[in-house]
This record gives sequence, structure tokens and C-alpha cells, in this order.
Amino acid sequence: MAHPTVTLSTREAVAPSRASLWKRWKGALIGPGLILPAAIVTILFSVIPLIYLVIVSFTEESSFFFNNPVYTTANYSTVFDRYLPHIQTTIRLALLASLVNLVFGYPFAYILVRRVRYRELVRTLMVFPLFGPLYLAFGIRYVLLPNGPLAPVLDFLGINATTLLISEPMTVFGMAMFTFPFMVMNVGTALSNVDPLLEEAAQTLGAKPWQIFTRVLFPLSRSGILAGFLMCFGWNLGVFVVPILLGGTAQQRVLSITLHQKGLSQFDYGLASAMGIVLMALAFGVTWLSLRFSRGALGA
Amino acid sequence: MSAAVAPTPTYRRALLAPRRISAGLQHAYIWLWLVLFALPFVTTTLHSLRAPEGGLTLESYRYVFGSFKENLLLSVEVTVATIVLNLFIAIPAAYAIVRHPIPGKRFILSTLNLALYTPGAVMGISLAITYAFLFDIPRTFVGLLGAYVVGTYPLMLVPIIVALRDLPRVYEEAARTLGANRLTTFFRVELPLLGPGISAGILLTFVIVFNEFLVTLFIAGPNTTTAALRVYNLTRTGFLPSTAALAATMQFVSFIIVLVFFKTFGSRYLKGTYLI
Repeated sequence: MAHPTVTLSTREAVAPSRASLWKRWKGALIGPGLILPAAIVTILFSVIPLIYLVIVSFTEESSFFFNNPVYTTANYSTVFDRYLPHIQTTIRLALLASLVNLVFGYPFAYILVRRVRYRELVRTLMVFPLFGPLYLAFGIRYVLLPNGPLAPVLDFLGINATTLLISEPMTVFGMAMFTFPFMVMNVGTALSNVDPLLEEAAQTLGAKPWQIFTRVLFPLSRSGILAGFLMCFGWNLGVFVVPILLGGTAQQRVLSITLHQKGLSQFDYGLASAMGIVLMALAFGVTWLSLRFSRGALGA
Repeated sequence: MSAAVAPTPTYRRALLAPRRISAGLQHAYIWLWLVLFALPFVTTTLHSLRAPEGGLTLESYRYVFGSFKENLLLSVEVTVATIVLNLFIAIPAAYAIVRHPIPGKRFILSTLNLALYTPGAVMGISLAITYAFLFDIPRTFVGLLGAYVVGTYPLMLVPIIVALRDLPRVYEEAARTLGANRLTTFFRVELPLLGPGISAGILLTFVIVFNEFLVTLFIAGPNTTTAALRVYNLTRTGFLPSTAALAATMQFVSFIIVLVFFKTFGSRYLKGTYLI
């Protein structure tokens, strides 16, 4: 800029090659440029908070926010020592719910793919659980309340609704109902890729129904089963509201609820963060496995 | 599908033939679950209509448009704002992922999906700490918006990517050959063809943000209580018909919108996403 005449002359000489260079750069920059807004949002609201969480988890209580934070690994030893039962409860409930999903979801998906013509209706009604576990648990609670709409039926069957309400089976059922569509989706996709002729061939060759399942259907739908199971397991690890509304104190000892209490009621940010990191590590591990077994939503 | 039909019987089928019983049981099993899916919504609605002295009344719906009105309005506002921001973020990103070479695409994709796989409570505590001590936006509308956008735009990305991959490049090439520049081609040719995919993304965002309460519980304050969070807070204090009325309204609105979407576009673009 200091020597306008010089720049002018050089620009005239270099202009064509510079333009082509710019074109080449523009081609390479457009892709990253288009993805930039997404990257900024993710870094601001996901990457930075998670890094912050890791740092806070290594500090004592809320000392990170004072002038001299106390760095320690005590939070993690507390989590794996005093709160080990909570980790176990979290994993146990999620495992049970995913098993319930598998046992009831597999036949559902099979019948849906092979027999049912009113699939649109099924798909529409299966949307209700996806509105979230809150309404689900809330609704189940109304079903089972002493003066609820099903009370006459339950009385007739001799079932005591209140003992049913605050119990582990009910909690597991509530969790399973939320993730049921995920299991049906994964298993259904796998099963619809299995040629029905294979089953008929097995039948013609004298296989019994259970043999058709163990020797033909199960091996061919294994990837769907694994993906569905892990997806349900991953969702159920983060369970929060179902144990609160349908479970007792034993079921409420899951990581999500405990970290909410520690963090937002007792302001022990260090411990709450450490619990969050443990929960996240569990969930990411499961998700990583499930993405390996499924083709992935993006087919990647 | 036609292969699945049973071989034609050479005899007249009896009403109680084993095959018929088995088919009946299979349909009954499907219907049992369908009833279970709808049951919580139905009982919530019934409870909301219950009058204190017996009988049915619409009395509790006065609360929905009375003291819960602010919560509902906030929910609608934040949902609409999230959808608009998501569109501005997801459409360019999907376009870049499908049509442009990017170094380290797989790594970037999995980083973008980070928030999707984070459990709600972890996202909640991390954002609560960050908002309070780093960004200084605790309990604000902006904070809610940031959390919702980062949690849902990956879900909007998926159907748009699927739609873009299905779109033959012929349309783009034809428009370019006829002299349209990149922007014109995109807005006049490609964007309209992506309609169903984009609508699917909007539906997914709506269903999740409108009903989200867990992350909200960590980062919302008294002035930023969404309707879903209000339902959660009310369930902690009791099981009044007015709470049921709010929950029923939320589910009803969500269901109607899903229904309209299915009737208009079908469910093709929702495959492999959060909804079936």
C-alpha cells in the first residue's frame, strides 16, 4: 500500500494467476466455511462445557470458583467407593430395561415386519413414548393410582396397585417403554433385510419354529439386536424421571439423580462433575460400540 | 412381502385352525402394545377431565390458558427460535458434508454429534456450571436456546443429508449449465427439492425441544420455566387434574403435529432417526 504504483503494476502482471489461485482456494474453503456455524455452536455449548466439567471434577467441592482452587482426585475415589452402589444400580436398571426391550421387542418387530399391514397406524401410535419418559411415567402413575381409571380392573384381578407403583419392576417397565421403539426400529430394519424364503426353506427342510429362530433368524439379525440393545442401554443409563415417579429410594440411587442432588442442592460441584464424567464415559462407551455394530444413521 | 403369504390351502379353513389362532395371537400381541403406548396419554387426559365431585369437566383446562400460559408461550417461543437457528446451521453443514471434500470428515461428524450422545443430566450439569461461571448467562433464554440448538441440530442434519444424497446432481448441473450461479441454483432448484427432508428435521426438533425437561431442569430459572419443566415441577408436589391437563395438552399438540406430518410427507425421511 505504501507504493501504489508498484502494487498496481505487479497486480496487473500477476492478476490472472492470482485469480485462479483464489478460485482454487475458494473451492477448498467453501466446505469448511459451510460447516463453520455448526462447529462454533458445538464448541461453545458442548466441547467447552465438557472440558470445563473434566477440570471441575478434579477440584474440591466448589473451590474451582474461588481464587485458589484445590486440585484433587478425591472425587473419583469417592465416586468409585461410596457411590459404587449407585453406579451398579444405574447399570443394573439399564440392563434390565434393555433385556425387557429385547424379549418383548423382538417378537413385536418380527410380527410387524412379516404379518402386519397396518404399519402406518403402529408407527403413529409408537410416537407416544418418544414424547419423553416424563409423560410416560406420569401417565403410568395415573393408571395405577388408587382411584385411577384402571382401579376397578386391578381390584377385580386382586392386584394391589400401590405396591406395584413404587417398585423396581415398575421402574424397569417404565424405562423399557420409553426405549421400546428404538429396539423395534433396529431389529425391524435387520429383519426386513432377511428374505422370508429362507424361513420357508428351513421349514420345508423340517426345522422346528425354535430351530428357525436359533439357526436362521437370530444369526441374520444379530447386528440389529446388538445395535438395538446397546442403543436402549445407552438411553437408559441416563434415566432420571422414571425412578423418581415410579421407583422407591432404592431405584432413585442412579447417577443422574444423585449428581443433580449433589450439584444443584448441595453445591458439591466437584463430586457432581466426577459423577457426570463417569456417566458420560459409560454412555460414550456404549454408543461407540453400538455405532460399530449398526451401519450408523448416516451410513458412514 | 408377497412371499410371506401362506401357501394356498387345498382344504376349507376351519375357524379354529392352528394357523388362524397363531395369526390372531400375533395381531393381539401387537395391539396389546399399541394400547400400552396410548394408555398413559389416555389416562392423563381422563384424569384432567375429572371433576372434584365426580363426573367430567373442562375446569382444569382453565389453568392451561391461565397460570400455565406463560410457560406454554415460552415453550413455543424457544422451540420456534431453535428450529430457525437449526435450519441456518444444519442446511449448510449438510450441504458441505455431502457435496464438498472436507479433511477429517468422519472425525468432524462424530464431534458434531457429541451432544447427541451425552446423557441429559451430564449435559445439564456441565452447562449449568459453564453458564454460571464462564459465560455468565445462568437461567436465561439464550442459555436455553444454546443447549437446545447444540442438542438437536445433529438430528436435523440426518434427514437433510439423506434427502441431499437422494437428490440427483443432474438438477444442479442443468441449472448451472443454463447459467444460474451457485446461490440461485441452491435456492431455486435444490432447496425446494429438499423440502421433505427439511420438514422431517423441523419435526424432530419440535418434538424434542417442546417436550425437553431434563437439561432445562439444570439451566432454567423461575423466569425461564418451559411448559415441560413446569409439568415436572408440578409432579413433585402432587397429582392435580390441572397438571394432567397441561401434560395432556403438550402431548396432544405434539401428536397432532406428528400426525399432520405423516399425512403430508409420509415417514420415509424419518427412517434411522429419533422417530421411526
